[in-house]
Amino acid sequence: MPDIINIIKGCLDGNRRDQELLYRRHAAKLYAVCLQYSGNDDEARDILQEGFIKIFENLIHYKNEGSFEGWMRRIVVNTALEKYRSKHNLYRVDDIDLIPEPDADPETEDYAGLEAVDLLDIIRELPPKYRMVFNLYAIEGYSHKEISQMINISEGTSKSNLSRARIILQKKVTLYTGINKKAISG
Amino acid sequence: MADKGANIDLLFRNGLKDFEVLPPPDAWNNIFPVVRKRNRPFVYLRAAALMAVLLSLSFLAYRYGIIMNSGNEDRMIAVRDNPVTRTGNNARPGILRRMPVISPLPYRSTERMTALAELDNGNQMEEEVPVQDNTLQETASTLAGNTALLMPEMYNTLPGLSSKTYTFAPESDNSDFEVFQSPRIREGRRWSLIAGGSPSYYLQSDLAGNDLTSQMKSGEQSRLSYSGGVGFAYRINKKLSIQSGVYYASVGNEVSGINSFAGFRPFDLTKGDRNFMVLTTAGRIYTENPDIYLVDKAGERVLTRYTNDVFDPFKSNLSYLSNSLYQNFTYIEMPVMLRYKVIDKSIDFNLIGGFSYNMLVNNSVHTVIDGTRYNVGKTDGLNPFIISSAMGMGIEYSLSDKFSLNLEPTFRYYLNSFSDMNSVKIHPYSFGVFSGLSYRF
Repeated sequence: MPDIINIIKGCLDGNRRDQELLYRRHAAKLYAVCLQYSGNDDEARDILQEGFIKIFENLIHYKNEGSFEGWMRRIVVNTALEKYRSKHNLYRVDDIDLIPEPDADPETEDYAGLEAVDLLDIIRELPPKYRMVFNLYAIEGYSHKEISQMINISEGTSKSNLSRARIILQKKVTLYTGINKKAISG
Repeated sequence: MADKGANIDLLFRNGLKDFEVLPPPDAWNNIFPVVRKRNRPFVYLRAAALMAVLLSLSFLAYRYGIIMNSGNEDRMIAVRDNPVTRTGNNARPGILRRMPVISPLPYRSTERMTALAELDNGNQMEEEVPVQDNTLQETASTLAGNTALLMPEMYNTLPGLSSKTYTFAPESDNSDFEVFQSPRIREGRRWSLIAGGSPSYYLQSDLAGNDLTSQMKSGEQSRLSYSGGVGFAYRINKKLSIQSGVYYASVGNEVSGINSFAGFRPFDLTKGDRNFMVLTTAGRIYTENPDIYLVDKAGERVLTRYTNDVFDPFKSNLSYLSNSLYQNFTYIEMPVMLRYKVIDKSIDFNLIGGFSYNMLVNNSVHTVIDGTRYNVGKTDGLNPFIISSAMGMGIEYSLSDKFSLNLEPTFRYYLNSFSDMNSVKIHPYSFGVFSGLSYRF
């Protein structure tokens, strides 16, 4: 099996087989990232395709420093970010205030039985602005200052969106795990 | 609450770490193999190297031209190839060391040398007499009619040769020496200013030969293109000249099989975002007009989120425009051409060869409805610099001493493709006929 260096070299030489090999190796993991940042499968597929095009285009700039997978992931996240920036004003998030505070304390809760696919479903149900802030902050590790510059919002808004995202996620997690029986029955 | 938040963050971060989901099976098919050229950063170095070579070539040509000019007068007197045999009573003695300029003549070096050799062996040689230039004019003025004797200054420059004195017989009907009258007085003019243009027809050769490029190429036709501009030429010697200039060249492709519709703006939620991408051999067309809707009739060259299964242009009453897109690329062309004169008559024939450096200055994509252009967007991934080689044959017809008409059928081959993608190795080549007017000075 060719190592990643040889695959990258092949991709740089325009070898379609190496490009496909690179895609086959990493598409599943990157598609999961796309799903995490998108509201529907079509959008996720678009992000994946555009992300891979950018990966191929920018391979020349990869200096073989750090994780190659991390480098690809950053490109895909940036692609999702661009898509979000181009259409974020289409979504309304004002109704989020109607969501009640979660009753349960997550520190004491048992999340056993919650699988990655459930977490993905939960995160995709978030409104786009909250989902974007939560992903960038909680998953990617960006600061509120960085996020505010990325999606052109204030730091305060970023914090507020994160807080609301967490509330919603907590609520959903609680529902999924069936801990809050009242919520389910109600 | 902060702990709660951190906890939920950790739950998702750890839970989604290394999570994988298989993408749709057809996702790969829509990913175009776009790998920028590895040596892209060296494009500028290449350009600089090319410019250095061209400048060096021009300088050498200039220097060579000066040397040729200083060692070879164009205005001269020529002689017949026949041996010099005239002697006897009719001979009218005369002394001539270095012939003055009587009439400008075509350059005929072989005749000159033949005459020199013959004269060296002839019986008319008498003695070496140095003659001052001012006396030459007087001597020349005494020469009758068309009779003259050749002694070009080149003679004095040849090693081992010295000035000789000759007799000659000017009154003879069968004069051995003859003054050739030039049909054109142009030898003294080394520079030319040229203006003209050329229609060209482009074809493409696919060097990669993969399925994808073949599929794209089959749906594209090169359009009749044109170029025009001004240039200058410097005549290095009688045969060779170098030419350069600045030309404006417009080329393009017709991408057929892509249906375009107008009226999509009310359905477009992205405010003019690049809604459609079309894969072509020259690069990727991105729509910039939010009113445009594109669909590929047969293939999968159009990438969009508005696929047929989510949007039907007919049900939405969009207006059908055309089934072709037109790519337009504009280049500024800077050629450096050498031309070698094969036939030097009233109609000259030249062999032409050289290179052109083409800089992309503009590109656009449009479609046409009822003769009206409808802007679509632009093509991404175009090579900003292209080098082309050219060879052809030039016909030059002199209208007067200073003006001439040029007609140059030329074959041109592009050394790199329009697209800057490594996987697309389609090299255009073209046939064109350059026609123009040149002014010598």
